[in-house]
Amino acid sequence: MAVVALFDPCYMSALRPDDAGHARRVLEALGDDVSLIDGRCCGQPAFNSGFRSDARTVGRGLLRAAQPYEVVVTASGSCTSMVRNHLPGLFPGSRGEGAAKIGARFREFGEYVAGHPGAANLALKLEGVVAYHDPCHARRELGVSAKAIELLSRVEGLEVRRLSHEDECCGFGGAFAVKLPEISAAMMTAKLDDIRATGAQVVVSGDLSCLAHLEAGARGLGVTLETWTIAELLSRALA
Amino acid sequence: MRTEHPSTTLTPIMRKLVTDSVSMLGRGPDDARTRAAAAREYAVDHLEELHEEVRVNFGRRGIGYHVAATPAEAVGIVRRLLGEAKRVAKSKTMVGEEVGLTHALRAAGIDVLETDIGEYIVDVEGRGPSHITAPAIHLNRTRIRELLARGGAHFPDDDPERLSRYVRDVVGEYFKDCDAAITGANLVIASSGRVGIVENEGNVSLGVSHPRLHISITGYEKVIADEAGALAVFEVLAPSATAQPLTSFTHFLADPAPGQQRHVVFVDNGRSRIRKDARYRDVLKCIRCAACMNCCPVYRVAGGLSYGSPYMGPIGAVLSPLLWRDGRYADLPFASSLCGSCTEVCPVGIPLHGMLLDLRGDAVQDGRVDAVERAGWKAWALAFGGATRARASSALARIVLHSAGRAVRPTGTREDPRLLPEPRSGRDTAHLRPAAPSAVSAAPLPVDTPPAGLVDLFRQRAGELGVTVTDSAPAEPGIVLEAAGAIASTGSVLLTGDRAARRPLLAAERVIVRVRPETIVRYPSDIVPFLGDGEALLLTGASRTADIEKQIVRGIHGAEQLVVVLTDA
Repeated sequence: MAVVALFDPCYMSALRPDDAGHARRVLEALGDDVSLIDGRCCGQPAFNSGFRSDARTVGRGLLRAAQPYEVVVTASGSCTSMVRNHLPGLFPGSRGEGAAKIGARFREFGEYVAGHPGAANLALKLEGVVAYHDPCHARRELGVSAKAIELLSRVEGLEVRRLSHEDECCGFGGAFAVKLPEISAAMMTAKLDDIRATGAQVVVSGDLSCLAHLEAGARGLGVTLETWTIAELLSRALA
Repeated sequence: MRTEHPSTTLTPIMRKLVTDSVSMLGRGPDDARTRAAAAREYAVDHLEELHEEVRVNFGRRGIGYHVAATPAEAVGIVRRLLGEAKRVAKSKTMVGEEVGLTHALRAAGIDVLETDIGEYIVDVEGRGPSHITAPAIHLNRTRIRELLARGGAHFPDDDPERLSRYVRDVVGEYFKDCDAAITGANLVIASSGRVGIVENEGNVSLGVSHPRLHISITGYEKVIADEAGALAVFEVLAPSATAQPLTSFTHFLADPAPGQQRHVVFVDNGRSRIRKDARYRDVLKCIRCAACMNCCPVYRVAGGLSYGSPYMGPIGAVLSPLLWRDGRYADLPFASSLCGSCTEVCPVGIPLHGMLLDLRGDAVQDGRVDAVERAGWKAWALAFGGATRARASSALARIVLHSAGRAVRPTGTREDPRLLPEPRSGRDTAHLRPAAPSAVSAAPLPVDTPPAGLVDLFRQRAGELGVTVTDSAPAEPGIVLEAAGAIASTGSVLLTGDRAARRPLLAAERVIVRVRPETIVRYPSDIVPFLGDGEALLLTGASRTADIEKQIVRGIHGAEQLVVVLTDA
């Protein structure tokens, strides 16, 4: 019975308030005792925009909230990478080391579930077909894609279709989508074309930021597409 | 918006190139990237010592050694070296672009011809190269035909082979009567004082052998400790750049021929300053392969010209603001979704997207970001950093996440972007049924199982490059040369000393190279003991170009046919 904190990042609590509930459900099915760190921000939006002192101010709040926990599970690859890989570098000297110690306790949701001793006993069943979108941060900065894919393959009745150009970015990139919307949209359109080619109408990913971007694009183009996080898919597969 | 977008042509070309590069690098050796990165790292760490060694060895060989601190100094040195020269044949050099060399020489009344086919085409177009190894990649064959027709040429169609050969002939004619050649240099080898240049078309071969004066211009960081280091770099350079095993010609230039002069101009232009900053020092490891732009989704959509710098793509977004400190490129680091594919693909291990993040921080610190954005982030930090959380997140998230939707949504049906999508508790499970069977091809990649023996491997790889490999000398006429060695994995042959002389090689109708089987080694790195100390030239297939839509045309300058005779003699 591990005690874990579930960090529900700011944008997720804003855009998908029920997603944390899905994640909590899965963690509890694994036998964990779950506390919630909700709605805080890791500082990534400001960090990616170059505003490092503002990112530090905000990130510090999250690190403080995370301090009491040995494991902090986050249903977002890019936030996990921010806390683990980038946030510590914003603090000088020993404070940076302290930040790195707390940062190292953060786990991406799929990575955590796949590696959980209780995972083998989870009864996961969901009939259907989904496409899988591999988020860049989970793939390149965390290296956890294989775990997510393996996890999805354990769901009985589920066919997971891979994209032809799985390694390509969906075009979100946070502030990038605002600063260069035309380029971002062209990348997104290419990704939607790839998803459409799989024939699936639901796309699953470990990063809601990619999914929300794709969903906004699909709506703009009039394409039928549902976007599920891995947490939501697993939670629905538990029932 | 989708029909005329540059990404519709660039993306499929670049996707194929990236896939082919991965499989070419997959041929091994397995530690090629590690060794290339280590060789470049050593060079950046020991830059001053290596330059001292280069200077001494150049003195021994009679090669001129010059260092320019600024672009103006570089141009000044080149002009002084050119002396009375009036007709200059120039091949590709990115540093030449960096210092504005062609423009400066023309302004001084010197006739400069771009001799690389891609560079020739973009010179006619007048907007500069859009890619560092494929300068004309932004132009399709139809547009290239139009551009070449401006000079009075007539073409029955826009066949890339026909267009490439036309430029080849213009260049060949120019070389018959020119005073000097200007080339780049990929690496300058400290331990031997040789200049390493790779090329495909043979225009560099012409340049280093025909005019009486050869000037190489390159970056101050482009030195390497020894031949092993150089070959470690070449082993990853062509596979990463163009998915070739090695380029058609790999030159190791030694002493200038009698009556000929050779000079190398090293351009610093801020590199010594970059080297002192631990955050960016690694960018000097760059070997200019362009793998980072080939894989970059932003580059594919925006195209190279949109960067407005001689260096484009991810390396350009890092290098340009570092080289030009006046802020003109301060916005380039923001032109990235930070997907990290550049960092992943870089064969010498430059953490490119991490540098983009650092440069963004610098731009903010230097006050190059507007006040409105600055105030916005302050307000955001106040809201999120405090003890009580605000709902600022929703405001931010909806602005950001709706922007893409807005960009593709037809005008007139635009929703109010300030509205958040409603959270949904239920899902329509009908969507879990696929709309169509998958159209994604599930065919596995063909597995490359090369022959175990070196001779058989050499036969196969040389054959793939269009080289004829036989056991007996052909009856047809041609120049016959003894190889000093050969490389199985790349199908290359090594010529050294007088046999590496480019003039007879380029004039021959057919090149016949005799290779003794016991001199065949597996990988480029293994050929080091055969390189000698003088001129050396690795031939990997006949000359070729892929400057028009990446379509390969073989036989540009020099013989179209390369014949290898495996001999026991």
